[in-house]
Amino acid sequence: MNGKVIVITSGKGGVGKTTTTANLGTALAMMGNNVVLVDTDIGLRNLDVVMGLENRIVFDIVDVVNGHCKLRQALIKDKRFDGLCLLPAAQTKDKSAITPHQMKNMTNELRKEFDYILVDCPAGIEQGFKNAIAGADDAIVVATPEISSVRDADRIVGLLEVAGLSNARLIINRIRKTMVKHGDMMDIDDIIDILSIDLLGVVPEDESIIISTNRGEPAVLENGSRAGEAYRRIARRIMGEDIAVVTGEANNFLDRFKKIIKLAR
Amino acid sequence: MSGTLTCSKEGMFIEVKDYKSFTELQTAITDQLINSDNYSLGTPVYLDIGRNYMTNKQKRQIEDVLLDHGLHLKEIISRSMISQNLQEEKPLIEDMPRYESTSLICRNLRSGQKVFSYGNIVVLGDVNPGAEIIAVGNILIMGSLRGMAHAGARGDDKALIAAYRLNPTQIRIAEHITRPPDGEQGVGVHPEVARIKAGKVIIEKLKI
Repeated sequence: MNGKVIVITSGKGGVGKTTTTANLGTALAMMGNNVVLVDTDIGLRNLDVVMGLENRIVFDIVDVVNGHCKLRQALIKDKRFDGLCLLPAAQTKDKSAITPHQMKNMTNELRKEFDYILVDCPAGIEQGFKNAIAGADDAIVVATPEISSVRDADRIVGLLEVAGLSNARLIINRIRKTMVKHGDMMDIDDIIDILSIDLLGVVPEDESIIISTNRGEPAVLENGSRAGEAYRRIARRIMGEDIAVVTGEANNFLDRFKKIIKLAR
Repeated sequence: MSGTLTCSKEGMFIEVKDYKSFTELQTAITDQLINSDNYSLGTPVYLDIGRNYMTNKQKRQIEDVLLDHGLHLKEIISRSMISQNLQEEKPLIEDMPRYESTSLICRNLRSGQKVFSYGNIVVLGDVNPGAEIIAVGNILIMGSLRGMAHAGARGDDKALIAAYRLNPTQIRIAEHITRPPDGEQGVGVHPEVARIKAGKVIIEKLKI
């Protein structure tokens, strides 16, 4: 088996990297894949909390890298899916506890056993980021429709290109249909215009995300959740299916016309 | 206020059954001892206080009064329900393994902070989720334990973890690792103690 290592990154903090990792991982596992989620945010780990697996942590990524335990011992099996595992970050260490080289070796080992290795990247562009992208084949950039987030995403896309990851794809998170309609929020086309990378999906703002995150159960498990639905679609796109991106924007003539007027101004 | 004092081969029996306050009992005993002088030093004393109840502190005071007269308190006979229950309880401290050193931490331990000690650890504050507290000896937390605590880190499975509010992410004692059951995020209302009994980590109300 030769799995795919996908790093989920954004540059800016708080845009939903961890939520995206948890939901995509769960969605991919739901569809029968063997998935491992790797938390590289050493010192500020969260993925374990979002997955509801915090109290099962015994060994972590730093223990694995330093040879205190075997890789298999540190992997935590998910409560819901057999094919889903989590490799937690250490909380009492910092980013310098591992090196990009060690990370690369570890992802190569994980590649043998899993179909997808999703790496949750920390915010920032320093050591943590360098570690996270070290072993990656593919990158997903998460951005929210805000200037600051898009600016940081642009920086990240540039850094990824330098590191040889020129196939980064974009997830636009927390978009609000009504605000975009009124021109109060950047729309999808504007963002793609700036970043000029492929769009992998759009996730609407959804209160159920907050509820599910606090409960430690990813939103993709809930059928009624709009964001969960969006993540399920993205997961299928990652698997290579060709499904249209639901932009959440009205596509009637009048709206398009309004947009053209607005752009012309 | 009256009492009776009888002497036999086994020792001295003092009976003071109806008294209103502890001082009254003390004076009654002293009066009895002054009035009788036919006892030898070191005689064991059995004190019958009827249906009354006496605290440990009061027992010690009585002991002192008797010692002043060269007598020693052998037993207090009481038919009070409260004192009987109290006597049956075995204090927890008895089973607790002893360690020479104890680290005292007078602050809250927050996520990412880690404390290690070769002896016991006492925390005057909370231990939050993501914090780790590891002791070769026992751990006592005078606040909420919400993070991870590992007592008996060198393999002492008699080590205890006690907390004012025990609500941990994980508890480890010696080689045992436990976590609260899924979906049970109950906030306790009593101080609790975790220890190993019959190879399992159990949690019970803290009684001292």
